[in-house]
Amino acid sequence: MKQPAGIPTFFKNLVEEPLNAMVEKAQDSGQRAIGYTCSYVPRPLLDVEGIFGVRLRAPGVSGTPMADTYLSNVICSLTRSIMELALEGAYSNLGGWVFASSCDHMRRLYDNLDYLEPLDFVHILDVPHKRGEAATAWMKEELEMLAEKLAEHFGVDTGRGALAISIKEHNRLLAILRGLDRLRRRDAPPLSGTQYQMLMMAATSSPRNLVIEPLESLYKELENSSDGIDDYRARLLLAGSNCDDPGYIRVIESTGGLVVGDRTCTGSIPALKPVSEEGDPLEVLASHSLDNISCPRMMEEFGARAQEILEAVKLTRADGVVLETMKFCDTWGVEASPLVSVLREQGIPVLRLEREYAMSSEGQLQTRVQAFLESMGR
Amino acid sequence: MSIFDIKRIKPTVADLKSDLASHGRLVSSLAKLPFRHGPLFMLDKYRRYPWLRTLLAANTLLEMSVRTRTGAYREASGFGVSHVAAGIGELVDNLFAKPETTVIHEDLVPPEILYGMGLNPWMAELLGIIAPLIRSEFAEPYIDAAESEGTPPDICSLPKCTMGIALKGEMPKPKAILTSNMPCDGGMSSYSVLERELKVPTFRLDIPYNFYGERAVRFFAGELKRAIAWLEEHTPGRMDWDRMRQVCEIRNKAQEYQMEVWDLVAKKPAPMAGEALYLGHMMYSVAMPGRERGVEYWREMLVRTKKIAAAGGALPDERFRCALWNPPTLIYPELFVWAEQKYGVALLMDMISYNRHPYIDTKSPDTMLQGLARVVMEGPMARHTRGPSENFFSDLFALCERFSMDMIWMAGHIGCKNTMALNGMFREKCRERGIPLLIINYDLSDTRVVSPAEIRKQAEAFMETVMKARPL
Repeated sequence: MKQPAGIPTFFKNLVEEPLNAMVEKAQDSGQRAIGYTCSYVPRPLLDVEGIFGVRLRAPGVSGTPMADTYLSNVICSLTRSIMELALEGAYSNLGGWVFASSCDHMRRLYDNLDYLEPLDFVHILDVPHKRGEAATAWMKEELEMLAEKLAEHFGVDTGRGALAISIKEHNRLLAILRGLDRLRRRDAPPLSGTQYQMLMMAATSSPRNLVIEPLESLYKELENSSDGIDDYRARLLLAGSNCDDPGYIRVIESTGGLVVGDRTCTGSIPALKPVSEEGDPLEVLASHSLDNISCPRMMEEFGARAQEILEAVKLTRADGVVLETMKFCDTWGVEASPLVSVLREQGIPVLRLEREYAMSSEGQLQTRVQAFLESMGR
Repeated sequence: MSIFDIKRIKPTVADLKSDLASHGRLVSSLAKLPFRHGPLFMLDKYRRYPWLRTLLAANTLLEMSVRTRTGAYREASGFGVSHVAAGIGELVDNLFAKPETTVIHEDLVPPEILYGMGLNPWMAELLGIIAPLIRSEFAEPYIDAAESEGTPPDICSLPKCTMGIALKGEMPKPKAILTSNMPCDGGMSSYSVLERELKVPTFRLDIPYNFYGERAVRFFAGELKRAIAWLEEHTPGRMDWDRMRQVCEIRNKAQEYQMEVWDLVAKKPAPMAGEALYLGHMMYSVAMPGRERGVEYWREMLVRTKKIAAAGGALPDERFRCALWNPPTLIYPELFVWAEQKYGVALLMDMISYNRHPYIDTKSPDTMLQGLARVVMEGPMARHTRGPSENFFSDLFALCERFSMDMIWMAGHIGCKNTMALNGMFREKCRERGIPLLIINYDLSDTRVVSPAEIRKQAEAFMETVMKARPL
């Protein structure tokens, strides 16, 4: 299966650097970039006039020798890769970073970065592991503290009014990405999973106001396009943990399996769910964050997570699920097996893959996916 | 002795007398089971739960503790191990006798609330912690069972052992499960497997990451209230605040005695060391706090510690005082007995034992819940593995000062990613302070990863090259 032409290299360039040209451009105009990870940090809070959020990624990392010295080599390679690039100075232009206490690995990444590469502004959000009234109230207070700290440090307005505007603009971006995602449900989608992932990553790695227009024009162009991919062998749903490297999906798709949906930390489900524009923005952002149950860190939601995948399979008309989990991730590591059982009980073919952050063993991955497609009779 | 070159000490008449008392305590506690439940009932349990066979061999742990020592230290160690074994006997007894009120709880969720509600607690991880101390290879078939169900090899072997026990159908079915997000992601996630296997309702307590301050106490006391309401809905348990007050007062009393023991242990030479300290804490502050047994244990231990202090120190020749960070080496409890004999190393404190131990204010239900909230949030390991790294280091360096430690042995359990990810900082911070640090490369529950012989070699190399110690 060939990747269709039609996605401007502009987007490809945006995902190849930890801090891309758009980030530099925005910084040159006086805005300050805040690196953040992971999905539990609500981006609208970082995207107010004067500052903008950039999701931390580590494209191009080729090894993690320095990070291993501190984090050890039994920690997930996403955190080690971010740490490696941080130690190489790749994020030194950031104005600060914000983390979420989402898992053991993220917490220790924060600890080590704060020890080795402290930026002027460092914050970690204490994110509850479950939903409910008390948890939302706690999260709201957490966001309130972060908002105050941002306002004080950067001299920006993080008041209710500014946040309401930010949420509106955020929803505009999400609507465009949702539109692009919907195009993948066609029988012959005009864009591949690889290309979609590239657009998603371009959107989260760049200042919002500089990517909205290019994404919108691309959407309009693709929406009216009659060309599409029709030579695939099967439609696949990608599920699992962080997968911010479009190259990983490219290898899957090179075997003929078209990725039509991604229920991953960095994919379209549930990231594209609009944020409510009604009510107190901080409360809205707090419940929006906690309603993201896709990560097994949300300890009471195994059933809901399985259900979310089942619904995504139906929505995308996927023939099978590729469940990719980052090696050494404890929560996914333990939960993947029962999840596979639940999906198989429902008659859904599942391929479970354990992977490292940086793309490696392409041939092996291809063979696994090919065998999976064959096992489905495709 | 069975493990390497640990020397068996020739007993005196007084030693033999104290050994007899220790063995008597152990045997009588285990012999109670067939008397109480009947031999056929116990035979059935013995067949269904193979882990019982390992627990019944607890005398090997006792032998290790007494035959390698002499005098009052031997007597105290024997008392400690046999008392803890008898405590386990009581928990097993209740597990079989009261299935309708049994609630499985996660190891860092203290069971005081369950006692206050008239329920019967069973700590899911107890077997994975205690049984390898008796038989090193205990956890391995259970680890294999968890891995063959798809759990990755890199997950901590303690939750894997616990999951394996459930997956092999060897975990008695409780009425409910009370767990939390502690002490690590692997431990937290393992309960989704337990919940599916045991098919019982489960409540999960959420402990904040930043647990200092009244805001966290309020939030977590609220969590405890929600847990109580949930337990009242899903089990026959009902909260009786007078009973709860009694449980908390007993807990406080045991705590007071334990703190007095610690004050004495801080003196040089230390009048108590090793298993008597860490096993007692594990049992009576973690697995079954709030019981009279705990008060009895620490009161007796205090008497014995005072007695040893009056006569000198526990070890015949204390040359090095050691802090063990992370839980003790479950597959090789002989490590510190060997180190005592070979180099005069006194193990005085460890991560499980060392935490803030706040006393519980029993004035009202609210103050009790707030006190318990502090106990849980600042409990063993939780503060070190769940919270910011400051906790990990500030506690350790505070205890090094308090107990005049000469060195730190870090039990570098390969499955503990939380602590593995701090090793780089750990080395640098110890170097800055001039504290010698040994990071033992091993797995907490699996001898196939690093064998006890290899662990001993690492310790030996450290003692001779870094500490420049010569064997006694």
